[in-house]
Amino acid sequence: MMRKKDIYTLAILILLTVSTAILSNNSNNFKYIIFFILSLSGIKFILVAFQFMELKKAHQFWKSLIVIFLILFIGTISLIL
Amino acid sequence: MTKTIKIDHKNIYYPPGGILIWIIIILELITFSAALIALVYMSKEDPELFHRSRLMLNSTFGAVNTVFLLTSGFFMATTVNHFKKQDLKKTSFYLKLTMLGGLLFLVLKTIEYHYKIEAGLTLDHNTFFTFYWLLTGFHVIHVLVGIVILGYFYFSLKNQELEDIEAGAAFWHMCDLIWLLLFPVIYLIL
Repeated sequence: MMRKKDIYTLAILILLTVSTAILSNNSNNFKYIIFFILSLSGIKFILVAFQFMELKKAHQFWKSLIVIFLILFIGTISLIL
Repeated sequence: MTKTIKIDHKNIYYPPGGILIWIIIILELITFSAALIALVYMSKEDPELFHRSRLMLNSTFGAVNTVFLLTSGFFMATTVNHFKKQDLKKTSFYLKLTMLGGLLFLVLKTIEYHYKIEAGLTLDHNTFFTFYWLLTGFHVIHVLVGIVILGYFYFSLKNQELEDIEAGAAFWHMCDLIWLLLFPVIYLIL
């Protein structure tokens, strides 16, 4: 049996993927658009890690590590751009 | 009736898949993200060149490949779910779908690489394409290794422990995570 939450997660992930691709192709590379695309990609990253990899069941340490990594990654790229 | 296997993942030493695979995942993420940050940093030296190079990539290929990997990741999660219930028939079925997703990714990537080589956009074309080939190439190697691991599980499913299946699944999902960092930076934002 497929879990409903996993199905919803996949639907959101596909929606976000299509949205970021359309957004990128139909806009100039304004800084806020870049940050928006990176943020949507960050949400996808969190959904895969917490739902598909079941990180939501893990110790707080591992959850925090992934979230901190993601914030640093998006933050650094946004700052450079 | 099927029995359900459980591991206490709240223990810091037992994240889903085990601590060793998570150390590898963190190190891999740091390595790829450092390379991506280097790419973005170098793009500031000649933004126009990097922007024009990025536009030479087919973002539709990238988006479709993202969908292949995400769908494959969904099937992997379903595989683990069925293995926990010791339903080996369904585990085997969803494991095949997971591998199919990975194979479709590789087929599309091969087509994309073929077009790039035909257009002369090889590793030494410019700095952007050096990063493009190295980053996506190393990612492809990870996907290949992942398919080999899943193939091994497929042929020896009856002898596998939940921890091993979860570790293999974590490696497979890591390929998703790396791609979720590569896709926006290489195909969308420069």
